[in-house]
Amino acid sequence: MVLDSSLEVIDMPINMGPQHPSTHGVFRMVLVVDGEKVVDVTPHIGYMHRGGEKLMEAMDFRQGIGYADRTEYLAQFSAELGYCLAVERLMEIEVPDRAEYIRVILTEMNRLSSHFMFMGAFGIDSGIFATSFVYAFREREYLQDIFEEVSGDRLMYAYFRVGGLAWEVPDNFVSRVQEVLVKSQQGIRDLDDLLTKNEIFMARCQNVGNFSAERAIAYGVSGPILRASGVNWDLRRDEPYSIYPRFKFQIPVGNYGDVYDRYLVRLEEMRQSISIIEQALQQLPPEGPIVPEKMPRRLRTPPGEVYAKVESPRGEWGVYLVSKGGDKPYRMKMRSPSFCNLSALREMTIGQYLADAVMILGSLDIVLCDVDR
Amino acid sequence: MTPPDGQDQETTGAAGETPVTPPSPAPEGAAPAEQPAAKPAAERPARPVKEAEPKEAPRVAPQPGSISELLAKAAPGVEMKAYMVPSVVGESVAVEVGRDDLRAVMTAVHDDASLDLKYLRCLSGIDWQEEGLEVVYHLWSFSKRHALTVKTRVTYADPTVPSISAIYPSADWHERETRDMFGINFDGHPNLVPLLLPDDMTDHFPLRKDNPLQEIEEWQGDNLRDGAGEGEE
Repeated sequence: MVLDSSLEVIDMPINMGPQHPSTHGVFRMVLVVDGEKVVDVTPHIGYMHRGGEKLMEAMDFRQGIGYADRTEYLAQFSAELGYCLAVERLMEIEVPDRAEYIRVILTEMNRLSSHFMFMGAFGIDSGIFATSFVYAFREREYLQDIFEEVSGDRLMYAYFRVGGLAWEVPDNFVSRVQEVLVKSQQGIRDLDDLLTKNEIFMARCQNVGNFSAERAIAYGVSGPILRASGVNWDLRRDEPYSIYPRFKFQIPVGNYGDVYDRYLVRLEEMRQSISIIEQALQQLPPEGPIVPEKMPRRLRTPPGEVYAKVESPRGEWGVYLVSKGGDKPYRMKMRSPSFCNLSALREMTIGQYLADAVMILGSLDIVLCDVDR
Repeated sequence: MTPPDGQDQETTGAAGETPVTPPSPAPEGAAPAEQPAAKPAAERPARPVKEAEPKEAPRVAPQPGSISELLAKAAPGVEMKAYMVPSVVGESVAVEVGRDDLRAVMTAVHDDASLDLKYLRCLSGIDWQEEGLEVVYHLWSFSKRHALTVKTRVTYADPTVPSISAIYPSADWHERETRDMFGINFDGHPNLVPLLLPDDMTDHFPLRKDNPLQEIEEWQGDNLRDGAGEGEE
């Protein structure tokens, strides 16, 4: 075979998205490929930008909770909790114990449901096709049933309030949670059996998208991706908020920082979440107030600023709240973990195969509403 | 005939919170007129006068030996104002530095072994209207386990801040977003094109305060005016 050297050799740009099943929302990236290798990636975001930070400046502190849901729509309770923590810190409100326990139980169940979502979608990305998706969504549905029983809504809960909770949980809450936990444990085992030692899954995940701890820190990456890169860091333990110091749990950490480690870290996190929920159910005071006794009807903060952060399933969900006094935030910045994690995509993807770009993006587990806000 | 005023007073008295004796059936005609018209209002306990809300948060200087002293050592000759700001648990230190010193300060906090603030967790812009635009950097050190907030201010006339994306790669997208929203130019940024906004939207900055969200604010004005819902505190 004779190669005609007079032919021009160029790198080919390939557009992916914004409407593409593997981008997990409206996200577009332009990949420049040299054969099968990715030479450059340009992510384009902002398709879902709704000016959430501006909207929250016009909403009072009670209304803002509903918007937090709509930003992080797979970890709504984490977002609500972060927002409430910021306002509570500025107003110096003590949250009653029972409310704290219910908050933790729901937030950790939310982590389960979010990670189930990841397992399902990631299975599709890796080519297991619909099996993992159906398994994971069945389990997610049981969890959402509980959220619906508690808050009245399947997705937009708006159940936390500054100072506590909106209303009491149903009478059978504890038994229902225990019932669902048993199902979730079985669900985690099912997914573990299906994916972890699956040869195709391992071949597609191992040594793909490796990211060192140093680079992860430089890019402000947080959550399971940071831990998969070998940084032993979890806000629940290291900068504790709410009542997390009362529970014992392990923080899974990865060795290689590849896509497979991110999957394993999330899988173990689900087991740890179940352990936290079980401990919280045991310690949950059977009755008591769910809002402080002296609670102003109209929430007004003194002037000041606070940066509150929670460990959401995707990482550090932060709220930078600046108040000039009054009932609305003067500035409300949402530090979204998806945004920071996604900014590292370019460096993770360059030098990898084109087919693995989908795996790397899937392993970041982004929520596009949270990226664009 | 009962004057309409008297009727009104009676109903307010019965429905109001002050315990008034139930209005006795009007005896012999003139009785309602004798009732002092302003009585129920006068008996209502006076609301405690609220203290005027402070306009600014009090600024407490950091304790000796805090991170701001380490920073003063690591970046000598930089003028800075340090004070405490609340974090979720406890407090952390914030320093205000001049724009021209920003790059020196950020290099120092990143490279100095005693500070070692390698993690830029958040970068925000704030529009302080008459007092200009502010950029706030929230930093964290995994090895030393301490936090630092760095702030710098610029004027509307010259909204330029040195880019720190060469020091902190995570600042890349944050700076692009802040340029979109506040029109702050980050000098030295390799690719300062719109990130969240459309490519051609380079002269309109949505998060500046001169862009009111008119409809929502008006709607709130009707339904949530000052004092509404303050009945039971």
